Amino acid sequence: MAPRTAPAETMRYLHELSPQRRQAVADLALDTFLEMGRAAAIVGANGELRLVNDAFTELFGGVEDLTARLAKINADVAVSGGRLIHEVMLPDGRTVGLEVTLLEQGCLITGFDISRRQQRRAREAQLARTDDLTQLGNRLLFQEQLAERLAEPGHAYPPALLTIDLGRFKALNETLGRKTGDALLRLVAKRICSALADHDVVARLEGDKFAVLQLGQPQPQAAAALAARLIDLLGRAYLVDGQLINISACAGIVVVTPDMIDVEQVMSSADLALSRAKSDGQGSYRFFETAMDEKMRSCRKLEIDLRRALSLREFSLVYQPQVNLRSSAVSGFEALLRWQCPTRGAVSPLDFIPLAEQTGVITSIGEWVLRTACREAASWPNDHSIAVNVSGVQFAHPNLVKVVMSALAESGLAPQRLELEITESVMLDDRGQSLTVLNNLRSLGVRMALDDFGTGYSSLGYLRRFSFDKIKIDQSFVRGTANDPAGQAIVRAISSLGQSLGMKTVAEGVETREQFDRVVADGCTDVQGYLISRPLPSGQIASFLDERAPRP
Amino acid sequence: MSTLYRLVYLSKNRISGGAAHIAAEVQSILAAAQRNNPPLELTGALIFNAGMFAQVLEGPCGSLEDTFEKIQQDPRHGDLEVLAYHQTTERAFQHWSMGYFGQSREGQDLFGHLAKATGFNTDGLEGTRLFEIIRDIALEEETRAA
Ligand SMILES: Cc1cc2nc3c(=O)[nH]c(=O)nc-3n(C[C@H](O)[C@H](O)[C@H](O)COP(=O)(O)O)c2cc1C
Repeated sequence: MAPRTAPAETMRYLHELSPQRRQAVADLALDTFLEMGRAAAIVGANGELRLVNDAFTELFGGVEDLTARLAKINADVAVSGGRLIHEVMLPDGRTVGLEVTLLEQGCLITGFDISRRQQRRAREAQLARTDDLTQLGNRLLFQEQLAERLAEPGHAYPPALLTIDLGRFKALNETLGRKTGDALLRLVAKRICSALADHDVVARLEGDKFAVLQLGQPQPQAAAALAARLIDLLGRAYLVDGQLINISACAGIVVVTPDMIDVEQVMSSADLALSRAKSDGQGSYRFFETAMDEKMRSCRKLEIDLRRALSLREFSLVYQPQVNLRSSAVSGFEALLRWQCPTRGAVSPLDFIPLAEQTGVITSIGEWVLRTACREAASWPNDHSIAVNVSGVQFAHPNLVKVVMSALAESGLAPQRLELEITESVMLDDRGQSLTVLNNLRSLGVRMALDDFGTGYSSLGYLRRFSFDKIKIDQSFVRGTANDPAGQAIVRAISSLGQSLGMKTVAEGVETREQFDRVVADGCTDVQGYLISRPLPSGQIASFLDERAPRP
Repeated sequence: MSTLYRLVYLSKNRISGGAAHIAAEVQSILAAAQRNNPPLELTGALIFNAGMFAQVLEGPCGSLEDTFEKIQQDPRHGDLEVLAYHQTTERAFQHWSMGYFGQSREGQDLFGHLAKATGFNTDGLEGTRLFEIIRDIALEEETRAA
């Protein structure tokens, strides 16, 4: 056997070596070639094998059309600059990684079996696309599959995307525990799968939200049928961990049209349809329509304008006087929000407050209102009370008490002058949280009024749990005409209730003398409305009070 | 022994076709139950009457819940209402992997009054009442056969 060692530098100067030494090195090289672990072959221009080692024979031994394949590789390497790295799949399923180097005649091929590595990668790729809990696909898988379908040119039948979520799942998860919630989601996943065709794609996107990509079916009928089937299946009883669970599902559907090319857009369209379905009630489904998109866009636009309005100082406050019926004197003012938008003109609070509440913008708007009302009222000549509306969202915000304290401190307004108006919906949370907040606010010295009384649940329980300083009777009862005995009876009932509980009662929206006389007769303590005065800017309060003051 | 659970439910027949076809389908349901239930330690009773199925199923929680997942998806019935699902100390149908009763009462409407009531109250009166109806019929037929 040839010597196994040859100093590295001798390799470079091979031609300078003695013939014997050269032979020794060549033997060594050949030996290495033949015995190395990697498969290696020198291949002629037509794919014929010139020299192979055992590893090569072992790897490619069973391949029938080897010569043709090698000829092809040889041709490929010739046109790709002399070197090629290549993965080939063998007929028996193994994958081989090849490195090809062009020689003067033919090429040198080395390679080894990378099937395991390949399998590991495939496994990892699959894991990254699998939802652990349900073993369905996850969001990544779904987005990739959807992207693929969107990129493919027209099919006979367009794909349809369904998103599905469960009603009340979060509450259920909280009461029954995570373990039961998880078990339920696994059953839901199975039920969804049982309704699908083999090639449909299904995934759990997050929490209790699932998505299905329905393929190769006439639309929209197939998607509607599937949605109905899923809602039926998922709405059936579940037995989990010894408990009976009833839940319901809603679905949003998008039938993909050729102009839909963006995954995010399609998914958010489905979400939009889903949220519509939810507002239709549990157990319903809805198709996405362009009109929804437009509505959403205009909502988004309004939201952007709203967020901007605050920093651009487009909001202002006006103040509507309240008059005490016994003394005929002004007892206080209610701060009302006005929005003068440069592009929209004057926007009514009715049109933007609901959106501000949904989006949470209300917290910063509400804070601005509170600070501004306190500051402006502090500059008025008398000690009239100033009523500020606090929305349910604001009320639930942990910061509220702090904000009120700081608004009072900053403005120097006496806490007794500030009156916060809340609606009954605030009292609907029953963990006693709102009661704590009410008591905290009261301990600051601030007064509390219950707004729009009579329109909601009007539970007398609220009045018992917290003694409000004032009840505001909704204008719908006040404006009723003389032949609306029910409205009148309600006003009378609330007034006498207020009287017995020691709460003031304010009739809102009084516009005519007739309404005024009636609420006086019905026993309200205060009135507010156009009959007394329209809402005034802060700058006009002093002269308004001056005019009303009894002349000497 | 693992904790015993008892399930009582009522559902509407969705098998269409004549009496013979329905009878054959019911036979195949019973065959499935008698094949699958014993290894799962499930016992119970099934009654088919006036277009309604009523079933009591007893056994360990896991077996019962797995089998129920199959049953509630079975297209041969629908509008399934679970009337009771709770722990119990004793099996009421000890000897039946799935007893089938009530054939002799073809003409009677055994639980029509239950089906008509809307908004069943789980674990309420209906569950107990239905369970008792099924148990009484089973007892009666057992003694008659003996
Ligand atoms: C009213 C009704 C009661 C059934 N009860 C049982 C049962 O107790 N056990 C059971 O295994 N299958 C029962 N089935 C049948 C199952 O729905 C399902 O068809 C069957 O378990 C499938 O059995 P296989 O998996 O052995 O084919 C019932 C079906 C119906 C409609």
